[in-house]
Amino acid sequence: MKPDPRLALNLAGIAMTAPLIAASGCYGYGFDYAAWIDPADWGAVVVKGTTLHPRVGNPPPRIVETPSGMLNAIGLQNPGVYYFLEHIEPRLGELGCPVIVNIAGESPDEYRQVAGLLDSTAGVAGLEINISCPNVRCGGISFGCDPLVVEDLVSRVREAYHGTLMVKLSLEAGSITAVAEAAQRAGADVLSLINTIKGMVIDVERRRPVLGNTTGGLSGPALRPVAVRAVWEVASAVSIPVVGMGGITCAADALQFILAGATAVAVGTANFVNPLAAREIRTGLQRYLDLNGVAHYSELIGAAL
Amino acid sequence: MQTKPALIHYCELIENTRVTAQWHCLRLRAPKLAVASPGQFVHLRVGSHTDPLLRRPISIHHADESSGEIRLLVRPAGAGTEFLVRSKPGTVFDVMGPLGNGFPHLNENRRTLLVGGGIGMAPLYFLAGQRRQADLPFELLIGAASAAELPPHDYFCRCGFLPLVATEDGSRGVKGTAIDLLEQRLRTGGEAVRLYACGPPAMLSRVVDLGRSYGLPTHISLEAHLACAVGACLGCSFPFKKNGQIEYRRVCRDGPVFAGEEVYFET
Repeated sequence: MKPDPRLALNLAGIAMTAPLIAASGCYGYGFDYAAWIDPADWGAVVVKGTTLHPRVGNPPPRIVETPSGMLNAIGLQNPGVYYFLEHIEPRLGELGCPVIVNIAGESPDEYRQVAGLLDSTAGVAGLEINISCPNVRCGGISFGCDPLVVEDLVSRVREAYHGTLMVKLSLEAGSITAVAEAAQRAGADVLSLINTIKGMVIDVERRRPVLGNTTGGLSGPALRPVAVRAVWEVASAVSIPVVGMGGITCAADALQFILAGATAVAVGTANFVNPLAAREIRTGLQRYLDLNGVAHYSELIGAAL
Repeated sequence: MQTKPALIHYCELIENTRVTAQWHCLRLRAPKLAVASPGQFVHLRVGSHTDPLLRRPISIHHADESSGEIRLLVRPAGAGTEFLVRSKPGTVFDVMGPLGNGFPHLNENRRTLLVGGGIGMAPLYFLAGQRRQADLPFELLIGAASAAELPPHDYFCRCGFLPLVATEDGSRGVKGTAIDLLEQRLRTGGEAVRLYACGPPAMLSRVVDLGRSYGLPTHISLEAHLACAVGACLGCSFPFKKNGQIEYRRVCRDGPVFAGEEVYFET
């Protein structure tokens, strides 16, 4: 797609052709769709959660559909950071857009180690610290609820990593704004929110939870109003840019997040339903700018506040 | 910039026929999908709203390049498949595909047994049709609970081949399961070289066991709930045993057809 200067931005050091990001876990390493769809339809791609050691992931079933949404409990299945560096990172340039790596760990030190290993790697434009995964026993969300724990963890990663640092937040924190402020104090450059919210579906015939992991993270349009509210709260509380996500399917949905204060938006579940989402949202944003005589989309950031 | 092939195809429903008490056969005008090979599937949007949200994977029941058509066999099992079977001719579906790897060794000129359990017969029917056209030997074995849950005799007659049928209540064919039928065919009818199967996990597990005891390779098509269907989300992962370790493979991208002996069926 021809880049439209009205959509271009620099997200804390990452130059993007549009404020549209493929959300972690929903776009693999960017190559799965590439046979058919240009990954550069996105402004940036956040790749799969990466940990120090390989993780096999959770037992199936890992997904279940819910009203206007789905639960997933993948369990951070990934080949580990060493495999990533040897086999995946060298190829990331092929995607044609900046790549952000989502990182997770079972201890703050693991996060720091992974971040250190990814520091100054050519294919990686930034990191997204996942302190909000609801589907792993150790780490993930357990690091994302307490502002003091968040500040400590983000500070350690900040020392090890010199590129753009994004912190992905959960609404399950007692106060998402307190966690957001803690991440900002610790040196985060960008905040992304919201991660999925823990949910559960029960098979009444079998009288058992449907998911192999019992619970999973809710995503999709069902989540959207809650996510817009969270972005509005956090964007009002911090001075660093916010990436909004949660159930975005079209340009109008993306605009809600931007108007609530998001500098960019991420799209996850919608890819599964409509792999052309990036392209269509981009076109839809352009049309909105045309119709409303807006010179640059950034004029809309937080305009509803 | 080089153009990439389309992932999404807009396909008109030409005909929607009820073939059993429950199953429907959907005939779609889909020239780009008609190149599919047996064992591949399509991933369809079921409506234009957010509920049901996810696409539905349906294995290809027949594809004909010359007419540019494909057929899907659909058993209503929820809101998504209900939407498909209720659709009227003229409806245009948003279809991703063809996806998945398909069955291997399609042109082998040796005795091959194809085992379908219930709606699992859909891709094997496609494979059988292709082998029949190429004049390659095959036996299509189908199991169902009762005669009412199978397409009528003339459904197969039109394609020029008849399956061997087993029903649990004995209302059609031999009394028993698809596995009983398979055991019988393995004992008689000469040396088989390969088994293909699609059906419920318990049946597939038994097919693999039988393959093992007769020293035959098995190729089984797994079913899973899919989100992305291209390998990105890891939502459909199924356990495999490699060097004594469990590893997960993606049903959508690494399959849906796998070497039966590698699949880890939990007992």
